[in-house]
Amino acid sequence: MAHLNYEEGKKVVFKGFVILGIVTIAEVMVALVGKGYIIDGFHLPRFIMYSLMITMSFYKAFYIVFEFMHMRYEVPGLVRSVLMPTLLLIWAVIAFFSEGNTWYHWRKKVNDRPISQFSRAASSHSENSLYHIMDTKNQAQEKPMHAESEKKDSTLEKTHK
Amino acid sequence: MAAEHTLHAPEIHEGDSVWSGGKEPFKASYGKLMMWYFLLSDAFTFAGFLISYGTLRFSSPTWPVPDFVFSSLPGGFTHKPLIFVTFMTFVLIVSSVTMVRAVQEGHRYNKKGVVFWMLLTILGGLCFLGCQAWEWTTLMGGEHMTIRRNPFGTHIESGVYLEGDGHDIKAGDTFEKGHTYLIHKHEDVWKPLSYKTETGEIKEQQFGPKAFGALFFFITGFHGFHVLSGVIFLLIIMLNVASGLYSQRKNHYEMVEKIGLYWHFVDLVWVFVFLVFYLL
Amino acid sequence: MSDTHTTHVEKDKLIQELGYDDHFHEHHHGDKYQTNFLTTYIFSQDHKMIARQFLITGIFWAVIGASMSIIFRLQLGFPDADLSWLKPLLGQWITINDAGIGRLDPEFYYALVTMHGTIIVFFVLTAGLSGTFSNLLIPLQVGARDMASPFLNMLSYWFFFLSSVVMFYSLFISTGPFAGGWTAYPPLSALPQASSGSGAGMTLWTVSLVLFVVSVLLGGMNYITTVLNLRTKGMSMWRMPLTIWAFLVTAILALLSFPVLASGFFLLLFDRGLGTSFYLSDIFINGQALDRIGGSPILYQHLFWFLGHPEVYIIILPAMGIVSEVLSVHARKPIFGYRAMVYSILAIGFLSFIVWAHHMFMSGVNPFISNFFVVFTLIIAVPSAVKVFNWISTLYGGNIRMNTAMLFCIGFVSMFISGGLTGIFLGNSSIDIQQHDTYFVVAHFHIVMGVAAFFGMFAGVYNWFPKMFGRFMNETLGKIHFWVTMIGAYAVFGPMHYIGMAGVPRRYYRFDNFDAFKDFDDLNKFITVAAIITFFAQILFVVNFFWSMYKGKKMTEQNPYGSNSLEWTTPIETGHGNWPGKIPTVQRWAYDYGKDDKEFIPQHTPLAEGEEHSSH
Repeated sequence: MAHLNYEEGKKVVFKGFVILGIVTIAEVMVALVGKGYIIDGFHLPRFIMYSLMITMSFYKAFYIVFEFMHMRYEVPGLVRSVLMPTLLLIWAVIAFFSEGNTWYHWRKKVNDRPISQFSRAASSHSENSLYHIMDTKNQAQEKPMHAESEKKDSTLEKTHK
Repeated sequence: MAAEHTLHAPEIHEGDSVWSGGKEPFKASYGKLMMWYFLLSDAFTFAGFLISYGTLRFSSPTWPVPDFVFSSLPGGFTHKPLIFVTFMTFVLIVSSVTMVRAVQEGHRYNKKGVVFWMLLTILGGLCFLGCQAWEWTTLMGGEHMTIRRNPFGTHIESGVYLEGDGHDIKAGDTFEKGHTYLIHKHEDVWKPLSYKTETGEIKEQQFGPKAFGALFFFITGFHGFHVLSGVIFLLIIMLNVASGLYSQRKNHYEMVEKIGLYWHFVDLVWVFVFLVFYLL
Repeated sequence: MSDTHTTHVEKDKLIQELGYDDHFHEHHHGDKYQTNFLTTYIFSQDHKMIARQFLITGIFWAVIGASMSIIFRLQLGFPDADLSWLKPLLGQWITINDAGIGRLDPEFYYALVTMHGTIIVFFVLTAGLSGTFSNLLIPLQVGARDMASPFLNMLSYWFFFLSSVVMFYSLFISTGPFAGGWTAYPPLSALPQASSGSGAGMTLWTVSLVLFVVSVLLGGMNYITTVLNLRTKGMSMWRMPLTIWAFLVTAILALLSFPVLASGFFLLLFDRGLGTSFYLSDIFINGQALDRIGGSPILYQHLFWFLGHPEVYIIILPAMGIVSEVLSVHARKPIFGYRAMVYSILAIGFLSFIVWAHHMFMSGVNPFISNFFVVFTLIIAVPSAVKVFNWISTLYGGNIRMNTAMLFCIGFVSMFISGGLTGIFLGNSSIDIQQHDTYFVVAHFHIVMGVAAFFGMFAGVYNWFPKMFGRFMNETLGKIHFWVTMIGAYAVFGPMHYIGMAGVPRRYYRFDNFDAFKDFDDLNKFITVAAIITFFAQILFVVNFFWSMYKGKKMTEQNPYGSNSLEWTTPIETGHGNWPGKIPTVQRWAYDYGKDDKEFIPQHTPLAEGEEHSSH
């Protein structure tokens, strides 16, 4: 199935090694330069840094699949049948991430509520101050045990705000 | 049906298309197809994990900076961001390269070559696993990051420390918003440091998002499990190659090709694990 | 009919002269197959035996799952009745009070509901339906000797068996099986202390389903590669019967969606066992905040439904494929709109991956993203409607044989329409907010994917029973089975729409203490009685099934239905390798019924002089 002869194949392998190595180093450099480790006081904007790193990772993935896994030499039907289903993940990524973002905003809304409405107990050594509002003893005693109703209540309050 | 039918040779009207049946339309044996589709489904498993990671990260108000978390080197070096994990990535790439060589030798029916390159691949895999073991040990033993607790927090405002932690941080050190810190454990007691914000408020460090530690150990662990099983299968197949089992088969070294696909897939997953945990 | 029937000899001649020789029987690799009892019946690698194994295990589970529904229907219809007679069966889950009245433990009521869902969805309608018929029909109808990898095929069954054993075991542990709903939402599933079933019961549940995922993946890979690589000469994709198209797409859906479920379960196992908080946040137990923060139970719901929605098509597509084939054979007409059928299967398969959050409109999904899910969901109505119209058009003007298989097909179409229409209600988030978690939803999904898929399965069993066991099932019993089930199913689920609209929530232990729901007591009694009658009709089917296996009318003709597809060109006693000599080559598509005044023309018959291919 290899459409290259042996010597060519060997060259491709070496080339692949060099390309993957260079791209990896480039990624790491972008990460370090972007976050200001190499040049003091110089930061790349997050958007540029992230899109560069993501693009390079996808290039690496493409190279591994197409050269190392010999996808380039397979018939187009096989390539399509394996790669096209992964497109389904695009919508999954959009939907899931937007959900994550929503949870963040809703939690923030709950935490930013005026505290006076609630009898706030000292949030002793709660591991994460962001959730201390939920820690109020009164609330907890009114609805013991019912984790789910707790959740729904707070959701309701969130949406009503 | 008409018995007087003159039976003529099958006439397949859709031409000699590869799809007309009796052929392998993808010019790949069923074994290789099954490996591809298994890898596709495994890709969806990892996608499930990585998408969960992204979702939890999006839902989390802060996230530790990886350059700060993954900055140790064997031999007691600290503050050397990403160097060790870059090395790990290289190990995996090299083992992928040797695997390609093994497959190529397989096409030439060179038994010795296949065994040699597979052996190198196995060594690469073991080396990667060793690196991962060291990394985990450092994080768990040295920094007390576990699957349940993440001592790496991120500052949500700029300020100045009021006390030191006995390690790198001294009283009076300043920090900027967005920097990651590590809460140390002293004689089994966590010691979050207090600091003064720019507005003069006195506050204390909080633990970082739990999901960070849990997801890190879970996903790298699951990947490591794939590497481990890959190494085991490579070993079995290498022994089979050495015993001459495959040279008697009709499809020769296809088994080497299939395990090769799996091994490259492990490398492929690492590209994304590397991206989301160490780079972003 | 005799003039249109080909005799044995002629058939064999067609295969002998036009078939192609793959030298299958010259090799000895077949010998490991059926040499002793163990390799013939237990660890069989023959796809026909594996299909029978799947079917019989499926029937076993169906009986258990249905009995559970009868027990909880009794509780709902007659909450004050004395259930102490169930004590020998349920033991500690029936508490007998001082007055001697036996009551079903509320905890166990939830366990019954949960297990009913899990068993029917996964073990019966996934493994029992697509496992059985994909295994039986794919090699036979595409003209293959066996599956691509018979060994993995065998493993697929045995993983399913193992998963069954674990699930079955979980029914008998002292804390009871898992009781948090078949969707296993956290925190009930993530915290072992949440309810009595959340401990060992949930652990076994998860282990069982992880094993099940392995089984489905092994099967799915096999089905796909077999359809792609092992089609006989001339069997191009556009000549495959619709069953094969349906099984192919089903396998693709399973291959892509079950791994995501597995990832969800792995994260869940970590939450349960290792104290992580992927799905947990802000949980209070006895007023104490748990030390588990930062996750989200909605994440689990997303992961689950990313599988869960394709899963409902994994259930219904094989039924659709079977119905398309059986309808066409017994209406003696080509299927109407073959290509449209294929494209709609593909469209349904694609759409099923982008609509999952319509199960979660009330979970707190961002209303903005919900809009997209509503739109995608409603688009599914288009391919579904195409299929329904094509089935009806196939029936129109047909020379219909009203046998049991056909009746069940017509029943399927009826159920699919009535259940599908309520789906359009529920797909709209604004209406779903009202209807969510009421009996309206229960009625909807039971009709559209429960009863409809069962009807497809029954149609398949009645139709291919001769292929599986060499005998026919009893038609009279079959017709009784059909009519009781058909009327019974509507009697059970029709009123549920009504009480659901009135707001009666699902998963409640009893309704008579709520003033709002008191009016429905009689209706609930009616539903329960109807359910019991329907249940006994299914027992009739099981009896018919096992009786016919040994005593049914013997199959004397190779092709009893005058069907075109290749499975009927195999000998009555189909042995290893399916065809004794050569494999038939395919000359035409599978639906040449009533063409050129011939009642049917099997797929391996060459075109007559001057005959054109049917355009499709």
